[in-house]
Amino acid sequence: MLSADEAADLIEAIATRQDRAAFASLFRHFAPRVKAFIMRGGADAEAAQEVAQEALIMVWRKAASFDRTRASAATWLYTIARNKRIDHLRRNNRPAIDTEDWLTVFAPEDADADKSVLAGQTYTRVKELLGGLSADQLVVIEKAFFEDKTHTVIAEELKLPLGTVKSRIRLALGRLRDALEKDEP
Amino acid sequence: MSRHPAPEELLLDYAAGALPAGPSLAVALHVALDPQSRRTVDRLNALGGALIEREPVPQVDSGLDDAALDRVLARLGEVPVEARPAPGARRHKAFDWAPAPLVPHLRPGMDWRRVLGQFDEIRLDLPGDFHRVSLLRLEAGRGLPEHKHAGYEYTVVLQGGYTDATGNYGVGDFAVGPGSVRHEPIADPGEPCIAMIVVEQPIVLTGPWGRWLNPLVSRGLI
Repeated sequence: MLSADEAADLIEAIATRQDRAAFASLFRHFAPRVKAFIMRGGADAEAAQEVAQEALIMVWRKAASFDRTRASAATWLYTIARNKRIDHLRRNNRPAIDTEDWLTVFAPEDADADKSVLAGQTYTRVKELLGGLSADQLVVIEKAFFEDKTHTVIAEELKLPLGTVKSRIRLALGRLRDALEKDEP
Repeated sequence: MSRHPAPEELLLDYAAGALPAGPSLAVALHVALDPQSRRTVDRLNALGGALIEREPVPQVDSGLDDAALDRVLARLGEVPVEARPAPGARRHKAFDWAPAPLVPHLRPGMDWRRVLGQFDEIRLDLPGDFHRVSLLRLEAGRGLPEHKHAGYEYTVVLQGGYTDATGNYGVGDFAVGPGSVRHEPIADPGEPCIAMIVVEQPIVLTGPWGRWLNPLVSRGLI
C-alpha cells in the first residue's frame, strides 16, 4: 500500500529530479486501480489499460503542477484519468480536444481563498464517508463516477423522478462537506 | 461571492466527466471564477480519488505487469517533465477577461461579429458537441431579443453583468435557463457584459432519428 503522503512524495520526486523509480512505484500502485475504475464504466480491458497508461504518463509530464496542499495524489490522478477517459471516448470519432488543459483550472493561479480544502490528511475522511453514504445515495454517486452518466440519465435509468435524484445528490454532497470541513481551519 | 452558483447536481455531472463539451466548458468557467463551486468540485474530485483508491486490485494478471511498466518507462524518455506554469501565464492577450479554461478555445483571428445590430457574438466550435456555444457581448443597457428555447440554456458571466426577470447576474454567476421560459436579459451599467451561453439546439426532434437530425436542423439557425 501507499499512503497519501508517500504518494505525494513520489510525485514531487518526479517533479524535482525526474525520478523513474518513483514513477515505477506510482505506476504499480495506481495503474491497475485506474484500469479497474475505467472498466466499471463498461470499457473493455484494452481501452481501460490504454487510459490507465496514458494517465500515468500524464502524471510524469505534469508532476510539477501537482500541489499537495490542494489535493491528494489519488484526487489528482482521478482528474487526470477522467480527462483521459473523455479524450479516449471523443477520439473514437473525433480529433482529440486538449482536455489536459483542464488540469490547470485547479492550479494555484487563484491561491486566494481556498488552499487546504483537500490536503492529504483529509483524504482518509473521504474514504470513511463512502462507507457512510446510504445505499440510495451511493448508487447515484457510483453511476455518475463509474459510468459517467449525468444526473438526468441516471434518473431515467433508475426510473426515479429527477427531483429524487437531485435530492440524493445534495444529501450526499452535504455529508461530504460535513466530513471534510471538520478538518478545515 | 457568487449569488448564483451552478446547481450541485450539475457540478457532480462535471466532476464525473459526464457532460458534453459545451456544458462542461460552461461549468469549467464558472468553477474557475467561483471559489465556492470550486470547493465543491474539489470535494467531488476527492470522492473520485477515493473511488479509485478503493478499487480492489486483481491478484491475477492485470495486464499491467512489469513488462507493461517497462514499456511505459521506455516511452518516458520522449516525455519531458514540464515546468510548473507561472501564475497568470494562461491569460489571453486580446481577451484578457477569459478565464484559463476558455483560452485554448480562442483561436488566432477570432473576433466579435455583430448580430442583428444589437449584440456581438463569437461562436465556438467544440468538436463532437451539438450544443450551440457562443460568447456574447452586450453594451450597457442593451438587451438580447426576447427568446426561448426548446432545450436548456446555460449562461456564465465573464465580465460585467446583466439583469433579467430572474435576477441580477455578475462575474462568475451561472444561470440555468429552463428553455421554455421567456426572458429578456439587459446588460448592467458599466463595462460591456460578456457571457458564454450554451444552448441545447432550439429545435429538438425526438424519436430514433432525432439524435442524427438535430445537428442538421441547427445549421439553419442564426
